Amino acid sequence: MQIQFRHCSIWMLVCLCGLSADELLAQVQVHPQHVSLKGRDSRWQLLVSQDNAGLSEDLTRSATYRSVNAEVASVSPDGVVRGISNGETAIEISTGGLTHRLPVTVLGSAAPRRVHFETDVLPILSRFGCNSSGCHGKAEGQNGFKLSIFGFDPGTDRAALTQEGRGRRTNRTIPDQSLLLLKASGGMPHGGGIRIRKNSGEYQVLRDWITTGGLAGDPDAPKLVAIQVTPHDTRMAMDSSRQLQVTARFSNGREIDVTHLAKFQTNSESLATVDEFGLVTTSDNPGEAAIMASYLGEVDVFRAIVPQPDDGTTFPQQPVLNFIDGLVDAKLRKLNIHPAGLCSDADFLRRVYLDIIGTLPTAAEARTFLADSLPDKRSTLVDSLLVRKEYADFQALKWSDVLRVERLTLGHKHAYTYYRWIREAFVRNRPFDDVARDIIAATGPLSRNPAANLFRVAKKPGEVAATVSQVFMGIRIECAQCHHHPFDQWSQRDYYGMEAFFTQVNFKSTPADQVLIPNKKDATKHPRTGDAVQAHALLQDEPTETPDGDRRRLFADWLTASDNKWFARNIVNRVWAQFLGRGIVDPVDDFRLTNPPTNPELLDALAKQFVESGFDMHALIRTITSSRTYQLTTTPSRMNERDEQNASRALFRRLDAEVRFDMICQVTGASEKFEGVPAGYRAIELWDSQVPHYFLSLFGRPVRATACECERANQPSVAQVLHVLNSPQIQEKLSSDAGKLAMLEGSIPDDGKLVEEIYLAFYSRFPTPDEQESVSRYLATADNRRKAVEDVAWSLMNTVEFLFNH
Amino acid sequence: MSGNRSYCDGMSRRDMLHVGLGASAAGALGLSRAVAANSASGKPGVAGTRDDVSLIILFLQGGLSTIDTLDLKPKAPAEFRGEFNPISTVVPGLQVCEHLPGVAQVADRFSLLRNFTHHNSGHGAADHYMLTGYFPRPGFNGSLKPNNHFPSHGSVIAKQLGPRGSVPPYVCLPKMHRSGGSAYLGASYAPFEVEADPNAPDFSVPDLTPPLAISSNRFDARRELMKTVDRFKEKAEVTANSGTRALTTFQKKAFDLISSPATRIAFDIHSEPESSRDEYGRNSLGQSCLMARRLVEAGVRCVTIDHTNWDTHYNNFEVLKNDLLPHLDTGLPMLLRDLEQRGMLDTTMVCVMGEFGRTPRVNQYAGRDHWGPSNTILLAGGGIKGGRVIGATNARGERPESDPVGPEDLSATLYHCLGINGSDEFHTPEGRPVKIVNDGRVLTELL
Repeated sequence: MQIQFRHCSIWMLVCLCGLSADELLAQVQVHPQHVSLKGRDSRWQLLVSQDNAGLSEDLTRSATYRSVNAEVASVSPDGVVRGISNGETAIEISTGGLTHRLPVTVLGSAAPRRVHFETDVLPILSRFGCNSSGCHGKAEGQNGFKLSIFGFDPGTDRAALTQEGRGRRTNRTIPDQSLLLLKASGGMPHGGGIRIRKNSGEYQVLRDWITTGGLAGDPDAPKLVAIQVTPHDTRMAMDSSRQLQVTARFSNGREIDVTHLAKFQTNSESLATVDEFGLVTTSDNPGEAAIMASYLGEVDVFRAIVPQPDDGTTFPQQPVLNFIDGLVDAKLRKLNIHPAGLCSDADFLRRVYLDIIGTLPTAAEARTFLADSLPDKRSTLVDSLLVRKEYADFQALKWSDVLRVERLTLGHKHAYTYYRWIREAFVRNRPFDDVARDIIAATGPLSRNPAANLFRVAKKPGEVAATVSQVFMGIRIECAQCHHHPFDQWSQRDYYGMEAFFTQVNFKSTPADQVLIPNKKDATKHPRTGDAVQAHALLQDEPTETPDGDRRRLFADWLTASDNKWFARNIVNRVWAQFLGRGIVDPVDDFRLTNPPTNPELLDALAKQFVESGFDMHALIRTITSSRTYQLTTTPSRMNERDEQNASRALFRRLDAEVRFDMICQVTGASEKFEGVPAGYRAIELWDSQVPHYFLSLFGRPVRATACECERANQPSVAQVLHVLNSPQIQEKLSSDAGKLAMLEGSIPDDGKLVEEIYLAFYSRFPTPDEQESVSRYLATADNRRKAVEDVAWSLMNTVEFLFNH
Repeated sequence: MSGNRSYCDGMSRRDMLHVGLGASAAGALGLSRAVAANSASGKPGVAGTRDDVSLIILFLQGGLSTIDTLDLKPKAPAEFRGEFNPISTVVPGLQVCEHLPGVAQVADRFSLLRNFTHHNSGHGAADHYMLTGYFPRPGFNGSLKPNNHFPSHGSVIAKQLGPRGSVPPYVCLPKMHRSGGSAYLGASYAPFEVEADPNAPDFSVPDLTPPLAISSNRFDARRELMKTVDRFKEKAEVTANSGTRALTTFQKKAFDLISSPATRIAFDIHSEPESSRDEYGRNSLGQSCLMARRLVEAGVRCVTIDHTNWDTHYNNFEVLKNDLLPHLDTGLPMLLRDLEQRGMLDTTMVCVMGEFGRTPRVNQYAGRDHWGPSNTILLAGGGIKGGRVIGATNARGERPESDPVGPEDLSATLYHCLGINGSDEFHTPEGRPVKIVNDGRVLTELL
């Protein structure tokens, strides 16, 4: 919900004693422009900042503060104003020899405060981690005291404090003897240590709550509507800090400062960190960081733009080949990061082969392409790759991971037909909305409609809902199964609303087959409240009655509608990540408020074009590969070497286990016979991710136990390196008499030509004169030329150039 | 804050480089001395004050019948007490099975947890529970490898303590148990798998040395050649990409391993005197114990031996008496004595456990079935006091009589003795914080 918050005051510094022109121009900002405190213990975090050459510099901690009337309001050295007694006064804020007066009004300070559990106590329990999953929020609680995780169940939590524990947790007569206060403040041994200091504001609130009888919540009390972080987005210098302030707004219009009760979290430790008091500190990397603040289930995000400092060079002028380049450049300019230059034909060739068909070009293919002088040869190459069978193989492999083609669960026959169905979608380049719709609403016998197999790997409705959300929307809702999503807006009601679409799935067994026949099952129930939850998609209104028919169709229609917020964005983001090595939202299946896209305009534009093209994968791939952004070199400059987020240069990307293994087989000409498939099958053609194979498991082939992209392990290990360096299996391929290396060695007597051929096969490029010379020398001086060729091949195979896509 | 670049495995690449460099340089010794000095001045026995303790887990997969071995019930009815008689040990009042005379002789070195219990009696989930300290979540598929929902003890140790010298921090013998993986800690903390039986006559670790066809001269020539054909080596590209930085680190580690005499010697069980190999017993269990000692000596922090075939549903007594116990009875005592003679027992904890005990009532096939509720654990070294028996099971050995302890408490104790703070948290890819120990109690009665 969008609501209006108070604006900052900006005032010009007055020239006092010969300040320079620059200083004259400097603007100091104070937030807010007037502090109005209501009720006991009310407080407000002030923010003081100034613009400095386009960057916002935080002065909150360096400014000095003085209360004009300390009997009305106090102010702390870090800028927190507290109401003492009713009246009006001002805070004097001094910085850079100048002073600003900020008016303060204090009202209702004497009124006895009615402290409510939900609005006053729960935020404290959350803020100090009492109900976190590591402590009392665990399913089994901690040492007999259990709270609901993140306070999603206030009623039970209140009962745990006021009724359980033999009434010792809260003691109304002698409140300081309450276990809650004694444990939290160190008056008694506490596994979690001292969390709340005695006589601190929070201690006082808890104590007041106990003395006033442990009130639950006032049903008529104003409800929390939203929170807002100030500032909302700011350009910050590297290695600088910035205080945040969090305002909570209630349904009656009242605003209070909850900075001290909010929880903060960064989306990227490498760009910025945040401490528990809301102080953000940037690193020495340029980029855009998102800092989440959360309070009682509401979240807001502060975005810090940290530009690369100038090094005297200007932003390079390069061609804009399509809309992608314009939007990427716009973001790069904002961050003052410079894009790299264009890559060579050889780099493009290798990159586009590995990205589109997961296969290395052969030496002959490389020669042909490099010799081609037609201006549009890059796009012609892309067109030719999209219709190759390996394109369908490779895409089917990737989608079989997340759609979970799992032989152990599905059985051999069904897993195979499911795989073939997925592959066929890419052979025919089916519109992707149709593919998604066919899976989500699949009915009938498995033999005729293999897409229904998804409902056999994800058996429970909740699991289906979570899988479908993650695969087709890039949203992880499973946290909300048991509690409000801690880093997003999803509640349990949202989760069960999604689950309710899938509760009708029902299989009937026939002798030869299994048949998906949706039943008439009603909507689902909220596990805590027991209320019926009607099927409703995320951010959609919940219907009052259960609609007729198979509710999955309603979901499929909603998902694939052209104005759906997630479907197209998620698909283009996945494809973008495949081609650029990093999603615009990354991880690709984790769209959430607190993990914003690095370039939302680009994501929107790609999605818009994808929808307009009729969800055409080929068109999307053509668009991406024809951009200059895709065709950048990997060579970094000082103006982009710290950036891996914004597509300023080509990244080195690890290759999938199957692709890497096929590459080794291809360059050595020693193919592998895999278990369960005919000879000649390549690893990217394996439909079963459980085919026993040491190399493939070692290099992170997923077992498809979840729909998470992260299951495909992307981490190197010593054992992997050792295997390529030392294993007899690889050596066998290198020294195979029937292999390509033996053949080349036998048929090309000239060392120079032989080196050239090997370079084209391994690296898809010609050797440089230096390389040609030193490798030829190695061959010429060897006792055994055949073994020397193996050595060359081994050396090439273990380099960064071979082991990565770049 | 600067450059605090963290990855999904939670470890900062720069930290890792740091660890790798510090440990592979001669500084490793200096570091552990500094820590030792720290522990002398600090509070003894507090987590985080010493990092020189290693762990050997001897996992008796299938489930050791503890009622027949370490917790006999001679007074129970015949259908419970089974065929074996207890014998006295060097510790007055502590008795073990008559087929473990060797173990009886070293009873002053180890202690027994007879009040150990957990609620699961299925392979897979119970294995996971014992090897990680966490019961797996719903949807657990035990047949996957790895099947970890939570990281194994060895992976946690590798992550928290890092390598010592050029040897890998976590090694599995002869291969990795399905629950021996690193889960959300990432592949960097997966074990180094030996994938070969140390008892095999031609035992060698796969991929650790170049294939036989490649002489060391040729390997060196290849390495030299590699430098000239690597376009990106030592170029800005490699340092500006997280992926290549990681590979370069691992390549360096791999070459360290290949060229490290320490590793080669540690894994070269053939260089062990024949007499010593005989003393450990010429079988998989015995030779794995010997290999574990060699590895710990070389700096490995955690060795998990996965010894199988303890699932004695049929002919429990025959199988134990003739096959399994003789191996355990030579390998284990020899390991404890050997560690002691080398002055390593104080810094090497040995933990012997199965995933569960076995049913106190003998079944119709003279076997015993799965039984989680009673499962005696044997612990020695690394700060564990010897000769103690903690707790007791009831008259029929069905469950602890009082003060039960479980896998969480065992984990807490193992980590505590290794100087790892059990209340530190890891983050899963979904961002869920998970403590190293799931609310276990350090069993100070053992220390």
